[in-house]
Amino acid sequence: MNRTAGGPRPRAALVVLAAGEGSRVGHDTNKVLLPLAGRRVFTWSIRWAHSLPQVTQVVLVIREADRELVMGALARELPEVDVTVVVGGSSRHESEWNALQALAPSIDAGDTDVVVIHDAARPLAGAQVFRDVIEAAHRHGGALPVRDQPALTTLQDGDDPETRRTVAVQTPQAFRAEPLLSAYASASGDRFVGTDTASCVERYTDIAVHCVPGDAGNIKITFPEDLFLAERLLAKASWNLSSDRTPRAAREIRRRRR
Amino acid sequence: MTVEFAELRCERCELVTEQELHYAGRLLESVHCTNCGHRVMMRHQALVPAYLHDLEHRVLSKPQRMYLRVTRDPRGFLTGLPLALARQPAKFARELWSLLRR
Repeated sequence: MNRTAGGPRPRAALVVLAAGEGSRVGHDTNKVLLPLAGRRVFTWSIRWAHSLPQVTQVVLVIREADRELVMGALARELPEVDVTVVVGGSSRHESEWNALQALAPSIDAGDTDVVVIHDAARPLAGAQVFRDVIEAAHRHGGALPVRDQPALTTLQDGDDPETRRTVAVQTPQAFRAEPLLSAYASASGDRFVGTDTASCVERYTDIAVHCVPGDAGNIKITFPEDLFLAERLLAKASWNLSSDRTPRAAREIRRRRR
Repeated sequence: MTVEFAELRCERCELVTEQELHYAGRLLESVHCTNCGHRVMMRHQALVPAYLHDLEHRVLSKPQRMYLRVTRDPRGFLTGLPLALARQPAKFARELWSLLRR
């Protein structure tokens, strides 16, 4: 494990889910392959995460049909990043399991402390949120970014005022690597298919999942309007959501990583 | 102008439908749902300043992007350079035309 002045620095593997629903027909482009301010949607978040020294591996989960486009975009837009490309399954759970199997040798060898799972349709997840979830997962076991949704309430019977918080959960979500791999191996044995990463972790482990503050700008591309908004938010941030905005510092991180 | 197709959720149909996306340079100019015809587009008054801001960033980041390309593949960069330079005037003319004709 690397050491820094602030304590142990976890080594994290980033898993980016870009396989989508896998049910498309015709000539439609997977939305994560759409252009967004000069790059493909899926490469933005890899770029921000890779600017952190904690992120030592990147696994990208794709549809086989998208391979050619994905490889071209990686060569053009992220030539400095070593990305392992894995083909996804018929569900999110299966895609995550395929990615974890690709990471298993590194996890078993003790070279990966934390696995960060991220939805490629969230291109504006900046380095700060990646850093927060990695550090919280290393400390507590698991971490999710959440945003309070005070305008939403839960309906219930009776006159008791509703006191529970309603939050929106975002990605990236991070978990300690060994329990996460064990949980997915157990789920595979039981043929359990979780709706998201946390559901599998909750069922097969007792690790605590910690909430970290999410980012209002970390939008998911769902509606066409989201693409317009993402463009404007990127422009407002001067197209830079990396760990440090100075090229000199970014070069230093790359040098240290080598 | 570049045209792309993708499946996105239409606000009017409330379904995931095929959307036709039109780009002016790097900027998304308009999106229309091929199922119901619902169209979302950037207002002309907003598009031109956004395009100019984006163009400024493209120009300022060009030396760095060229440097990365030349270090990655010097031969390919040099052999492709004359054609790339020759294409630029027509490319910018198309982008400007797509902005002005609206």
